[in-house]
Amino acid sequence: MPGEVYSGRVALITGSSRGVGRLISEHLLLHGATVLGFGRGEATYQHERYRHFQADIADPNQVLQAFMAVRREFPALHIVVNNAAVLTSQYALIMAASAAKSMVDTNLLGAFLVSREAAKLMRKEKWGRIINISSMAVSLEPMGDTMYAACKAGLTVMGNIMAKEFAPFGITVNTLAISAIETDMLRQLPQETIQEVIGGLPLPRPAQPEDILNVIDFFASGRSSYITAQTLNLGGVH
Amino acid sequence: MVPSQEAILAIIFQALTNLNLERDASSQVPLDVDTALFGGASALDSLALVSVISDVEMAVSDAVGEPISLTDDQALSQQVSPFTSVRTLCAYVLQLTHERA
Repeated sequence: MPGEVYSGRVALITGSSRGVGRLISEHLLLHGATVLGFGRGEATYQHERYRHFQADIADPNQVLQAFMAVRREFPALHIVVNNAAVLTSQYALIMAASAAKSMVDTNLLGAFLVSREAAKLMRKEKWGRIINISSMAVSLEPMGDTMYAACKAGLTVMGNIMAKEFAPFGITVNTLAISAIETDMLRQLPQETIQEVIGGLPLPRPAQPEDILNVIDFFASGRSSYITAQTLNLGGVH
Repeated sequence: MVPSQEAILAIIFQALTNLNLERDASSQVPLDVDTALFGGASALDSLALVSVISDVEMAVSDAVGEPISLTDDQALSQQVSPFTSVRTLCAYVLQLTHERA
């Protein structure tokens, strides 16, 4: 990938402290972007163009406060990656309501609030890219993922409708449904189950960072202005 | 900090100015307190109204230093819609900011 293609771009990544969020954040930093990270905890890395905002996106007031802080420092925002998510994998019969609600609050409501506030800033420049990170769980519907998969499916629908509403502002909204990649979240799940799922994919291997970053670059590109309300599944999932 | 009526009017006019930048010369929205924002007399379609509300909400929040919502249940329960005109919107924002103070 050539040079600093993200130079002059300001990108906001939720759940930027680790896993896929950190991967995307470091990629955008490497290629010239200024990255604003939203995370519940303190920053886990430093970079001259990385600015961390401690905010739990499940809390609407924290999202609004964080965006007020963003606006004080950054007049423009170009790219948002809604990556933050929580996962409790459990049979529905014994899933605690608090765990189910937590997934709705972070995985769906949080992404909604961040997208809404981000679009207000993007609208000013008539340019924006919102990328939602979804999961193969939407298509594979594995047992134990009732609420997680439902939230991720909701994220896609939410993104598709926002794509219509935000289109007049030059903002695209797309979804990347990732397959299994080595992260803290994946390590919560039984390894035999993961191997079985991966083995059943048309491309039976775990996702690699480059698989994800390739799609992020595609959706975030200025050349992708005619690509919106699309979901791209990795690994041959459909 | 509670912004003055003049400061709130300036915020609303700025939002309308932002909107006018996107409209052609024949469909400019007048910067006047009696300009209708919603209803049959308004020149704004729903997307334009949403844009104005969004701009005003953001600017007022930044001015008072805390998030202000112009579209929650309180707004919908007003006898006269806050979005009827520039005047009613200004009065509603003033009321909200005083309640918060």
